[in-house]
Amino acid sequence: MAQAWTDCHIPFKAMASTCELRLLAPDAAQGQAWAELAIAEVRRIEQKYSRYRPDSVVSGINAAAGGAAVECDEETLALLNYANSVYLLSEGRFDISSGVLRRAWDFKAKQLPEPELLQSLCALVDWRRVERDGRSVRLPQAGMELDFGGFGKEYAADRAAAVLHAAGARHGFVNLGGDLHALGPQADGSPWLIAIQDPRRPEALAAEIELCSGGLATSGDYERFFELDGQRFCHLLNARTGWPVQHWRSVSVAAPLCIAAGSCSSIAMLAEDEGLQHLQGSGLRYLAIDAEGKHHHA
Amino acid sequence: MVATEKKSVTPAGSSLLAAALLLPGLMHLAQAESPPEQSELSFKFLSYQDSQPGLERIKVSSPSLGLVTRLGDHWSVSAQATHDAISGASPRYHSAISSASQMHEERNAYELGATRYFERASLSLGVNGSKEHDYRSQGLSLEGKLASEDNNSTWSLGVSHSDDTINPVNLVVVDAKKRTTSWMLGLTQVWTSRDVLQLNLGYTTGSGYFSDPYKIVDNRPDSRDQRTLYLAWNHYVDAAQAALRTSYRYYNDSWGIKAHTLNLEWAQKLAPALSLTPSLRYTTQSAVSFYYNPTYDPVLGAPFPVGYSFGNGQILSPDQRLSAFGAITLGLKADWQFNKDMSFNLALDRYQQRASWRFGGGGSPGLADFNALMIQTGLDWKF
Repeated sequence: MAQAWTDCHIPFKAMASTCELRLLAPDAAQGQAWAELAIAEVRRIEQKYSRYRPDSVVSGINAAAGGAAVECDEETLALLNYANSVYLLSEGRFDISSGVLRRAWDFKAKQLPEPELLQSLCALVDWRRVERDGRSVRLPQAGMELDFGGFGKEYAADRAAAVLHAAGARHGFVNLGGDLHALGPQADGSPWLIAIQDPRRPEALAAEIELCSGGLATSGDYERFFELDGQRFCHLLNARTGWPVQHWRSVSVAAPLCIAAGSCSSIAMLAEDEGLQHLQGSGLRYLAIDAEGKHHHA
Repeated sequence: MVATEKKSVTPAGSSLLAAALLLPGLMHLAQAESPPEQSELSFKFLSYQDSQPGLERIKVSSPSLGLVTRLGDHWSVSAQATHDAISGASPRYHSAISSASQMHEERNAYELGATRYFERASLSLGVNGSKEHDYRSQGLSLEGKLASEDNNSTWSLGVSHSDDTINPVNLVVVDAKKRTTSWMLGLTQVWTSRDVLQLNLGYTTGSGYFSDPYKIVDNRPDSRDQRTLYLAWNHYVDAAQAALRTSYRYYNDSWGIKAHTLNLEWAQKLAPALSLTPSLRYTTQSAVSFYYNPTYDPVLGAPFPVGYSFGNGQILSPDQRLSAFGAITLGLKADWQFNKDMSFNLALDRYQQRASWRFGGGGSPGLADFNALMIQTGLDWKF
């Protein structure tokens, strides 16, 4: 039952990341048609949930902070429910209302924030205060913000894979800036080899992970950061203190869905020295690289 | 910087996946039950030889050929054919006398199955049959499996039925029937990433002709109810790159057998392509209520029990398998994966049954030791 496949690589830009589709298709035209469906789905999610777009659902919710409740569609309600689950499972560490803290951290200026500013912003962070009632959501205080950036790219990778699967694609993967979802193995049944970037040397690889199907996501302290007096300050912030987390250089997790992999790796990063316990108990494959560069994996 | 006090951590992994599966359109991407990606052809050869001191008894050689293949996105079908050649001395009464008449029998058996896969479930239907010159059997089976949203629990429920017809050459009975129906309920639970637990409950009820037509004094009840409880714990040991498999099985039936079986296996990876699995099994059981010890009637002699009278329909059996005993099986299995599509395995099992090994004593007296050796080889090819 050997079938000749056309191996299609389709690079594209979305969600401020370099993205790629790798699809085995019966022919190049089919591969291109599949790719268009998947890319359209990624762009749909980007437009709907980007906080940089004033017309997005998230911008609408944030603009109404302190005002009226905003009615949401099924998909948005499902994502808010997911955010709630992750908040509870992470014991409050993963909080989609913590995006405001970024206003205090200027990674270009490489300056530590004013303590008063950080304190006032921390007062705006608390998922438990977000009012969810039936189909509506309301931020009770002006200045509060929701941000789906913590799982938006992973969700888009899963959804793009679902679209491809529904269209008939069975071999290949979706890669949105390092958040992956594999539809199925290579044509001969062997897994895809996915490289994990070395968190300290951008040109080097830390490891390779075999992926046949499902999601793979990596969180790291090297995406946005600055160093001051020998200490690294990264973009992953403790929702309670407003300060960057330490302990892990990067955490990669493989799970049946990319969004679950991404949330698990984020929780491990945010949990700092308790991160390994989360990973060990998760039942998922992971590679965690600690502050000394030591690898922990299962 | 951020002082975190030490406390117990509730890992979020599997719950995260459960939460993620509630998102629109993602459920089917993480299927628990999916048809096999590739077709698989397997060939097995089983060789069985049992013995008692001074007597080689039954020898069985049994090649079998199986095929599993995928049919579309939601179906798989399977077929298996087995041929048994049985030869050797006919069974002794107890173990005290040897009639040693030679026998040779052939048996052909087949199994056909089809499985339909759903998002988190599968449903399998099977038919099977076997034929030897004095025994025919036909069966049907149905099994459903359902996995939880997080894939950590899998429930299974199965029912099977078989209709057998017995026509022994000595015409003790003609067209005797035996019908059995079995129910099985199972739960497999992923406990941690290194531990899997399994619980199975089984119930079988049968009616018809259960006796051995070739034993003169063998007249068994015409119904039998059997119950089993099976508990298993598999644990992966990271440091040794090995898996420890343990199980306990409790069995009882309406004939009076109560049996306990403990099984231990250590599956050790020796090289990326080679693993070796030594195993140890201990079984202890009580006798059926109608088993009689090898003490024979002074007038009639063996195999007739003391006070035996012809034609009164007394329920009796001298079958050693229905006696009280303990048994130990030592096994060793090697698996060798040539490449990702082809693997070979070889398993040796040595079975030893002794009345004196029954747990707590009270094994059936007067029986010779009983031993058996099983060698099984298998070749699997995926394509």
